Amino acid sequence: MRIRRMLFALAAILALPQLAAAQETRQITGKVTVVGGEVPIAGAIVSVEGTTMETRTNNDGDFRLIVYTGQVIVQARAIGYKRAVQTVQGDQSTVNFSLERDVLQIEGVVVTGQATTIDRRSATTAVAHVSGDALNTVAAPTLQNALVGRVSGVNIQSNSGAPGGGLQMQVRGNNTILGSFDPLYVVDGVLYSNQTIASGRGAISAAAFTAAEDDGVSRVADINPANIESIEILKGAAASSIYGSKAANGVVIIKTKRGQVGAPRVTVRQRVGQFQPSKDLDSRHWTRDEAIAKYGAGVAHWFDGNSSPYFNHFDQVFSNDKLSYETGIDVSGGSEFTRYFVGGTWKRDEGIEPGTGFGRQNLRVNVDQTIAEKFQMQVSTVFNRAEHERGWNNNCNNFACHGYAFAYTPSFVDLNARDANGNFLTPDWGIQANSIQTTELARNEEETNRFTGGINLNWDAVNTGTQTLRVVAATGLDAFQQNNNLWTPNELFFERSQTLPGVAIEGDGLSRIFNWNVNAIHNFIPGGGSWSLNTSAGIQFGENYLKTSRITTTNLVPGQQNVGQGTNTTGTENLTKERTIAFYGQEEVRLFDETLLLQAGLRAERSSVNGDIDKYYVFPKVSASYRILDVLGQGSEIKPRIAYGETGNLPGFNQKFTLLGTPQLGGLTGFTVAGASGSAIVAPERVKEIEVGIDGLAMDGRLTWELTGFNRNTTNLLLQRVPAPSTGFSSQVFNGGKIANRGFEAGIGVTPVQRSNLIWVSRATYTMYRSEVKDLAGLPAFRPPLSGFGGLGVTFIEVGEPITQLVGRAFDENGERTSTDVQIGNTAPDFRMGFTNDISYKALNFSAVLDYQKGGDIINLTQFLYDDAGTSHDYGSPEWEYRMKGYNNGVMTPYIEDASFLKLREVSVGMALPDSWVARAGLGIKSARVNLTGRDLLTWQKYTGLDPEVANLGSAAIRNNLDVAAYPPSRSFFLDISLGF
Amino acid sequence: MTIISRRLRAARMRRRAAGAVAAVIGAVLIGACADLEIDNVNAPTSETLTGAPTRAVLARTAIGVQTEAKNDLGGEIQQWGIYGREGWNLNGNDPRETGEEISGPQEPGGRAGGSWSGKYGAIRTINTYLTGLGLATDMTPEEVSASQGFAKTLKAWHLHKLAIRSGPVGMPIDVDRPIEAEPAPLVTSEAAMEAASAMLDEALADLQAGGASFPFAFVPGFEGFETPSSFAKFNRALAAKVYVHRATFYSCAACWAQAATAMSASFVSASGLPGSLKDGVYYGYTGDPGEAANPVSETLDNNRYWVHPSIITGAQLRGSGEPDLRLTSKTFPAAAPRTLNDLTGTHKPVMYNDPDDPSIPDRGADVPWIINEELLLLRAEIRWNTGDKPGAISDIDLVRVNAGGLAPTTLTAGSSDDAFIDELLYNRLYSLMWTQGTRWIDARRYNRTGDLPIDRPGDVVHQHMLIPTAECDARGLQVPCTIGG
Repeated sequence: MRIRRMLFALAAILALPQLAAAQETRQITGKVTVVGGEVPIAGAIVSVEGTTMETRTNNDGDFRLIVYTGQVIVQARAIGYKRAVQTVQGDQSTVNFSLERDVLQIEGVVVTGQATTIDRRSATTAVAHVSGDALNTVAAPTLQNALVGRVSGVNIQSNSGAPGGGLQMQVRGNNTILGSFDPLYVVDGVLYSNQTIASGRGAISAAAFTAAEDDGVSRVADINPANIESIEILKGAAASSIYGSKAANGVVIIKTKRGQVGAPRVTVRQRVGQFQPSKDLDSRHWTRDEAIAKYGAGVAHWFDGNSSPYFNHFDQVFSNDKLSYETGIDVSGGSEFTRYFVGGTWKRDEGIEPGTGFGRQNLRVNVDQTIAEKFQMQVSTVFNRAEHERGWNNNCNNFACHGYAFAYTPSFVDLNARDANGNFLTPDWGIQANSIQTTELARNEEETNRFTGGINLNWDAVNTGTQTLRVVAATGLDAFQQNNNLWTPNELFFERSQTLPGVAIEGDGLSRIFNWNVNAIHNFIPGGGSWSLNTSAGIQFGENYLKTSRITTTNLVPGQQNVGQGTNTTGTENLTKERTIAFYGQEEVRLFDETLLLQAGLRAERSSVNGDIDKYYVFPKVSASYRILDVLGQGSEIKPRIAYGETGNLPGFNQKFTLLGTPQLGGLTGFTVAGASGSAIVAPERVKEIEVGIDGLAMDGRLTWELTGFNRNTTNLLLQRVPAPSTGFSSQVFNGGKIANRGFEAGIGVTPVQRSNLIWVSRATYTMYRSEVKDLAGLPAFRPPLSGFGGLGVTFIEVGEPITQLVGRAFDENGERTSTDVQIGNTAPDFRMGFTNDISYKALNFSAVLDYQKGGDIINLTQFLYDDAGTSHDYGSPEWEYRMKGYNNGVMTPYIEDASFLKLREVSVGMALPDSWVARAGLGIKSARVNLTGRDLLTWQKYTGLDPEVANLGSAAIRNNLDVAAYPPSRSFFLDISLGF
Repeated sequence: MTIISRRLRAARMRRRAAGAVAAVIGAVLIGACADLEIDNVNAPTSETLTGAPTRAVLARTAIGVQTEAKNDLGGEIQQWGIYGREGWNLNGNDPRETGEEISGPQEPGGRAGGSWSGKYGAIRTINTYLTGLGLATDMTPEEVSASQGFAKTLKAWHLHKLAIRSGPVGMPIDVDRPIEAEPAPLVTSEAAMEAASAMLDEALADLQAGGASFPFAFVPGFEGFETPSSFAKFNRALAAKVYVHRATFYSCAACWAQAATAMSASFVSASGLPGSLKDGVYYGYTGDPGEAANPVSETLDNNRYWVHPSIITGAQLRGSGEPDLRLTSKTFPAAAPRTLNDLTGTHKPVMYNDPDDPSIPDRGADVPWIINEELLLLRAEIRWNTGDKPGAISDIDLVRVNAGGLAPTTLTAGSSDDAFIDELLYNRLYSLMWTQGTRWIDARRYNRTGDLPIDRPGDVVHQHMLIPTAECDARGLQVPCTIGG
């Protein structure tokens, strides 16, 4: 109730200021164009400094602006261009602007609230920004792939090489153990689900962790990179606190392309390319005698006619070389009142494993409509259909997965060998599986249909020249249905030996996020503009619904894949729902001719998942920046900034409930008190972060930098204690403890060459952070959920140690096995760097992205499997003996490897075809470009396994870098032709 | 622009500002009233059982109490069976099976701390049920009484089994307290068994006042014992067994007579043999989708469970020269012997497989809880110790002849106690093997753990299990902890 009273007071203040006292005004006109040419810039904003007067240019770049009489300073700015300022004398009635291209993205705005932004030049926090063009240069399976190497402060790593996504994105380190660990995604103002819904594959492949080892797709894969205009990543708590207790892991704000005033513009883009395996593993070579000694006389026939048969099973199985393609058509345009963007994409990525791949059909329609003079509506809608076939990889204990089976399939076995009838030979090498048979017969299919749409209404209620009052209301819906179909027919070798052979799985996920918000923004620029106030307040409501269900049937009728065609059918269903309501207010003060910016804000929210649903949790933020002008020459700026903020991480849906068990027997269902006790007082985790930075630009804007240090502490962690088992409970959720993350990040941009026909833009990013568990509220050190396999190296939460440490047995100084677990690694990298270069010479363009990770440890359990099976490629060598000493003593240190890598993520070489050629082709083509692109072309790594970027337990809060025969990595090449009409 | 038009404009601005503020206030009012009460519909919550639960909820909880009687059972059959050399687990995927379980040292954080939380979880359900019964408003006093008698019988059984596993390290019994409260104090296992006896007697009184029927259904396994009066016979069978255990574990001399009284009120029967040997109460399994399957039933080519060779070689022969029927019906030779870590198994336990085709596991095979065959042996033990030695010999022979197909025993009333114990333990082993760890428990009861076969140098017979690490941690005690500190 206190909050409500506060908001009434706020509303009263908003209404108070003097609205009259307008000065005499006049009109000026002019034109905005690109520097060095007559190309008009449509949609540029022309405004009078020190006032709230502004207008936009029309399709021809012309504008008409009401200004005060006398001398005024007029500014013109547009997205993608550096702003320009001119003084207009009292007797002057026209003024023209020519704007320079903003290759280093100095301009632009960053988000400061639900409906407020601020110039990037003044920003008080580090906000990563990536333009859509950069993301779409080289074909990327998903958005996250495209972001790698381009942003600082963010650690993006793939979980496996499976097609179509499954990456983890971590902003400023691990901050939670039991809470949600993904960033919040917001697309055109609509909260966007990044749920990972397991396929159920683990139930077939006898995985140890049935959901986490399924190679699940994180659903942010449904965002089409081709639709994206720009991405901002709010990293620190001061920036992300506008999203309250969903923002502890950062916020990714995505804006999609919108129409511009003008004649219809059509762009057609066609990509054709291929994915190829980038690495495989060798296996032990066998003599006939060795083979018989190990596998028995039954394997002698493999040596008939060939004394040293050797088959690389990676080559045999990961052999899919079908072409991949992507077709995209964009149409955009608009009139003064209506602007539209329509984009369609049809895409298919073929995975290197036969039968795997990723497809997308996507249609986006964005419309901007001026309803009345002061009233605008923005509508954003997208439908996305995604198909994923993720294949059969990762850990599985019945050899249904390829890499795992390879370790136990000696190299003399030709997996392609068939008998006279064309049937695969019954395995005689110890395991009941043939991976080629698996790729041919087993199905693992996923289809997702998703609609995301939002409406944003903007009412410029008041504009007096010194004051504006704006009301912004927005609402949106993100809904998808994911369907998984898995089938392993009875005749598969690994099914034949089961008690109930043949499995069919029908899985469904239904997700719906609905949200709305209403905001009032008051801007006050009293006379002259030496200082200004911006006050905003609003309310936000969100509802998040997720239902997953699965039907699993075993003992199938041979040949049948319907879940109704088996004898042993079980079903599961899980429904979670969360509602959160938040009130917020924020004040921005600019002083000293807009050089000093002070911001403060408060967000109060209550949520259905908290123990106390009536309690408001308050998340404050306060920040400042000061622009020091012209220190390093004309036009240079140095901006020190400091920010403090708090955000939260909501409890999980189930954490406040103590559920009953419902055992069934003889057709009866009972109630029992289950082992996990909820907490009726569970509360959000709270991230408190202080961030300082120095940003700047020099050399006429050809050099920019952003340096940031941060210190964040997550307090009131969601933890699980183990009560005395004699209470009958095995666990209880509670809040307590503290994790610290400190780090440093840098982004540097430079334009070494900027001539009319040659531009070279170079950027570098640096990301480093260190974590430490400060306090566990009295809990003994423990293994977090999905920590790994006991005894084979696990993550371990221990006070005074990094949250990402790996522990296991090691050899002590005497070469003996240590009696207890000790720290044997750390999955977090020492640092990551990204390098991006774009060079344009006349019509030619070259760009490349390098991604470097230093340090971090990986657990090579794939090697462990080969050693277990006696099939390692270096069998008998000193390296093998060293590993086997660990293997035989339960010591994992020989299997812990350095995960450092340098990857050439993207390369693109292209040219715009000369206008004369294009014109000769006719067909109304106005422009044409041809690009050759490649992704993940080269990798330098210390790791002896396939890819150091791997996580068997993908969706884990604390990444364990476990390599258990994951989907192998691939590189891709595409020819890319785009035509403009 | 005139002054008037300026004023008009200002007025319009004011109206618009008021409209804007009204819009925001409206949104705030809508938002402030948002309903954030969201139920968990995935499973019933604990609130279902608190307050005054309905008759229907309590009936379901009674079923939960029945299913939780099986908690820890699979682990006990295996672990206590391995401790007592009834069998081995030679799967090879867990070094503890042929290490810690047979040669030690016991690890309180793992296996040796087992058979604890499952039973205390069951007791938590029973206590919640008993509390609910006390608050129920739509049940007759007879129904409440019958339900209490049922629940206390099972609770006493859990306490009794906890006392067996814990032996000298002790255990808590007064555990009906909030999760946040101090853990219940540790008491001796002797005191816990005494409490179990008292609770069984109390339960009997409740059952006797419980009218003609229970207000709930029974899961498979309780057939024939589903009314308060027939359930009382099951209660007395358990009471007799607990008294016998107290008499042997803790030298409670008075317990023999109480055991005899309880036995006479149980369902023990010498008629209808051999069919009636299997009469009694079972831990029920169905193996149907979503329902529990027998935890130790498996195919013959599975490497998990193997019969200890001493059982194969130790079986007495029938007149035909064939071994004891109880051996031939409960074990089966594997296609090939299996050796792991110097232990070689040749026979698989098949008492939970299809009797007609032992290669087919029966996922729905029940595990005997207490059956007439065991009661006859318990009655023999009681009679020997209460002066009725001929009666004891006659009971032993009922089992030898009807279950084993053997000749009557050579024991006489003049035989020594040791000779009687030899004969008793032989029959208990072959009648009850791979159901309840009888070889281990009997050896402990009669101080004969030293007589159990040792297969490898350095192997040991564990005398008891340990208090789990988590229990010690929650009490702030050094691990491993005992009632002594």
